[in-house]
Amino acid sequence: MLEAIWIAIKVFIVINIVLIHVAYVVYFERKVIGHMQARMGPMRVGWHGLLQPIADGIKLFFKEDIMPSAADKPIFYVAPIIGVIAALSSFAVIPFWEGFSIANLNIGLLYILALSSVGSYSVILAGWASNSKYSFLGGLRSSAQVISYEIAMGMSLVGIMMFSESASLSDIVNAQSEGWFIWTQPVAFFVFVMAALAETNRVPFDMPEAETELVAGYATEYSGIRFGLFFMAEYAAMFLMSALLAVCFLGGWRGPDFWIFSAVPGIVWFMIKIYAFIFFYFWVRATLPRYRYDQLMGLGWKIFIPLALANIIITGLIKIL
Amino acid sequence: MTAPELIKKIFLIEILQGLALTLKHFFMPPVTRQYPKEKREPFPGSRGLHALVRDDETGEARCVGCGLCAAICPSQCIYIYTSEGDDHKKIVDRYEVEVLRCVFCALCVEACPYAALALTDHYEYSGYTREEFYYTKDMLLENWDKYMAGSKGKDYIKNFWGPKSSYFTGPVAAKDKEGLEK
Repeated sequence: MLEAIWIAIKVFIVINIVLIHVAYVVYFERKVIGHMQARMGPMRVGWHGLLQPIADGIKLFFKEDIMPSAADKPIFYVAPIIGVIAALSSFAVIPFWEGFSIANLNIGLLYILALSSVGSYSVILAGWASNSKYSFLGGLRSSAQVISYEIAMGMSLVGIMMFSESASLSDIVNAQSEGWFIWTQPVAFFVFVMAALAETNRVPFDMPEAETELVAGYATEYSGIRFGLFFMAEYAAMFLMSALLAVCFLGGWRGPDFWIFSAVPGIVWFMIKIYAFIFFYFWVRATLPRYRYDQLMGLGWKIFIPLALANIIITGLIKIL
Repeated sequence: MTAPELIKKIFLIEILQGLALTLKHFFMPPVTRQYPKEKREPFPGSRGLHALVRDDETGEARCVGCGLCAAICPSQCIYIYTSEGDDHKKIVDRYEVEVLRCVFCALCVEACPYAALALTDHYEYSGYTREEFYYTKDMLLENWDKYMAGSKGKDYIKNFWGPKSSYFTGPVAAKDKEGLEK
């Protein structure tokens, strides 16, 4: 009983901290992209626009929740909730610092991959249920994108599992005490970063949203807090993918182990790594245009999957020898 | 495909160049001007709200009601009503500008042979009704007092929008120009 309460408290804390970070990641994105375009980003609400995410949140809460008359109502209601649940429940297995994770699952990696696939269901279902052509195209693109990227993504992590001989995230971090996997698995790192971009529907692989072509893709018919939930799910998924990258390739909570750095708590290193990846996401968004749809499929099937397969074979050979 | 091309493609050289460019811009100061907080001084000769020039000697409008400004106005937003006074003198009863229709081309100012009309550098005016932007003669004269006080108005006319007729016509116009410069 006591343990259940303790877990509930942990869940509450983690979810709240993640949601605050998600809100401020949006602010961070607007600032980063603004400065890359010689603008300032939000400046008015609060000091340097620091209260902007709160203002946005309040606005989204009080906007009208519009329901298209031709929509498939139950699915339309459920779709954004699926997205948020899938994105947030993945944080259960992330080891934030040594010995702290809500559930230290021995198949943590598989759990995250499975939930990220569930997350793309929310996009597909939203596209279907909206009964709008733009939404439907967005949903179709999302499903096509998922099948071309999830394979490469899963296979790029096989090398990691081979080296650490475990699928538990804390074991993976512990296996990197000698050296980060980014040095031993550079190809897997490259494939995973690209797949993570596609998985979270970020530029240059933001086909399902594609605001220049499809209005807002799957979210076209959504308004108010339901749109906000999609937004939240997208940024939470981005946060999750950055955390996964940090755990699998950059040694999670481990920092440099000398001089003053060894006194810095693990969570700080972990957050620095996560935010480095998030910055990279925004940086890419400010730089690259969207890939064409067929180019994206070609990239997924013809380059990333063979690369990931070759990586598995070479890693296996090295492991045997 | 040659070897350098292949290397270029594999290591995403061009994408990296693009990333370097955006990163460079990330550290440049933004060009944004935080408008209501920091306002830019209008450039000299800029075209803002209309005004009728008040003559220093008579204290009245310099306008004689010839109607050239209304004739050249491309958006037809100037309305002039005149009547005959004593000694066949032309009196300008009403001189009205519908500012919402104006396109601020300043053709009226250029057309005026007496430099009786000006566009001030005041550009921040707003209102809730259309009627607020229907400027009558008194309001236009008031604009001159407000935004072109002192030597500002004279400099404005002399340097930018003075009657071009003085460049081409005889001594009368030239004298007029001198009068303006005084």
